[in-house]
Amino acid sequence: MTVIRAALDEMFAVIGQMVGSVFRHGLPLTDKIAARTALTNFFLHIHPVRVRRSWIRMSYTLCLGGLSFFLFIVLTVTGLFLMFYYVPSTSHAYQDMRDLQFVVTFGGVIRNMHRWAAHAMVITVWLHMARVFLTGSYKKPREFNWGVGTLLLLITLLLSFTGYLLPWDQLSIWAVTVGTNMAKYAPIAGPYTRYLLIGGRVVGDNALLRFYVLHVVGLPLAAFLLMVVHFWRVRKDGFSGGL
Amino acid sequence: MATEARDRIAARDRVEQRRRPAEVPSTVRDDSEDEMVVSFPEFVFKEFIAAVAMTAFLILVSVWLQAPLLGQANPGMTPNPSKAPWYFLGLQELLSRFPPLMAGVAFPTFVIVLMILVPFLDRNPSRRPSERKVAIILFALYTAIVVALVIIGTFFRGHEFVWDWGWVLGNPQTCGGSPC
Ligand code: HEM
Repeated sequence: MTVIRAALDEMFAVIGQMVGSVFRHGLPLTDKIAARTALTNFFLHIHPVRVRRSWIRMSYTLCLGGLSFFLFIVLTVTGLFLMFYYVPSTSHAYQDMRDLQFVVTFGGVIRNMHRWAAHAMVITVWLHMARVFLTGSYKKPREFNWGVGTLLLLITLLLSFTGYLLPWDQLSIWAVTVGTNMAKYAPIAGPYTRYLLIGGRVVGDNALLRFYVLHVVGLPLAAFLLMVVHFWRVRKDGFSGGL
Repeated sequence: MATEARDRIAARDRVEQRRRPAEVPSTVRDDSEDEMVVSFPEFVFKEFIAAVAMTAFLILVSVWLQAPLLGQANPGMTPNPSKAPWYFLGLQELLSRFPPLMAGVAFPTFVIVLMILVPFLDRNPSRRPSERKVAIILFALYTAIVVALVIIGTFFRGHEFVWDWGWVLGNPQTCGGSPC
């Protein structure tokens, strides 16, 4: 009996050690425990340990920066799923989209989520910018972060735009033809820029591959890096807080 | 461990407090007396709720609303009108009205550069809306123009991108079967 008891005790101790190695401080029942958790947890350390209540009023940030970031995560996850099925070539892309829509389990819902989240992100980023402007939060010392934000807005638009081509349907190819035609009008560099962008004179296989690579690797990487800088600066400059 | 953590928290609080007053424009409400709360779980909880609400919203929309997928791309058949994605329709609208060099290149470049320079052009130190009437009116004007151009491009431009009341009159134009 005592042998079994000892074995059980040992087992519970090991389980306790396992859980404790992940969740070091238990439930955040007191401020002290909560603060210690925030200090030692990688995913929480993006926040200051303590904030003033006036900085985190939802009526102030409207959560718009956070929601933009969250939508970026949703897009990364759903996009990863789409990549399992999608081949960026003019002979496969369209059929792959139809398969996603009609054959793959939950493929249609995931594609829709990716699509609507992309539209939503354009809107939340724009509204976040409006919030920052209307509260004058770009003023000293946050001038630089406003600039980083402007680049993020641009990259968000470019991400949406490059993604627009990928289904390779009549909507994509002509929207992108119209869009890239705008680049043509720049003096001297214009036609070359367009050629570089779509790898030819018309939107075809090269354009699809270039947009795909930009959409799934180049631009997300740039966006991620800029977001890291953006969040770092929000921490260093402090939340702008109440008016 | 416990004292060490507490010391680190206290040190950080001191840094935050020391840094803020000097950098905050003098005309902003002094928040240094505001209540301090731990960001976890107070703040993290709010973020969590917002994330869950957004996820639920997206799933609902995605189950009900099908993303468009028209016929396969056909380089030989240009739909008329051909439209850019909605967030670029403002630009396309400008292109239909002004010389391309101006509407397609000079204007967007100008807006982007102007935006980055906003914090340096706005010399007013105050963050109170009541003391920033000019800035707010300018921004509202800018937003109104952008929104108007996008709406016009989306709903009021038909064949050959010429003006079209079809959407108002109840027979919206289509781009190959689905609304443009
Ligand atoms: C992908 C796009 C973006 C993401 C994910 C993002 C994220 C965030 C987050 C999480 C915050 C913390 C406060 C809040 O939630 O409001 C923030 C603050 C800020 N953002 Fe963004 N942002 C983005 C784009 C922009 C844009 C387009 C601008 C302006 C042009 C901008 C300018 C700022 C500034 C100045 C702050 C500091 C505001 C304050 O302390 O009150 N950001 N951003």
